[in-house]
Amino acid sequence: MRRSIIGTLATSAMVALGSIGARALEVGEKAPHFEVPSTKGSIQLSDYLGKRHVVLAFYFADFTPT
Amino acid sequence: MQAFQKDLLRFEKLNAQVLGVSTDSLATHEEFSSKHGLTFPLIADEGGELQKLYAPGRVTFIIDQTGTVRFVQKGVPVNEALLEELSKF
Repeated sequence: MRRSIIGTLATSAMVALGSIGARALEVGEKAPHFEVPSTKGSIQLSDYLGKRHVVLAFYFADFTPT
Repeated sequence: MQAFQKDLLRFEKLNAQVLGVSTDSLATHEEFSSKHGLTFPLIADEGGELQKLYAPGRVTFIIDQTGTVRFVQKGVPVNEALLEELSKF
């Protein structure tokens, strides 16, 4: 019985976290590592560390009015 | 993204690399880049994994060269505000 309650609570917590959706990174946090395909080849955040600042701009889609 | 291209030299002068990210494929990005003369990289985040790591929706991050988030701008990017932030570094 106790185990099932704990299980239910754990599941509820996970559902609650999931409903918040994607996390929103905030000022002061470390930017998460990434390695992704781009029009200039594979890019990693670490390519720029110690060299340049990065302006990472998420947008909806190509060929849409801006 | 065309607005970033227009101000790209100003970003470069402030030692910043502009990266555009959407869920479009590399093929679509290539076509879009060549049509609009974009010379900075466009990231193909087809599964939305990068977006999940950062934040939902239309949003622009300035990450300094130590890897720390220094500025978050929601909505349509405003270059003047981004350039002003970068000029403080």
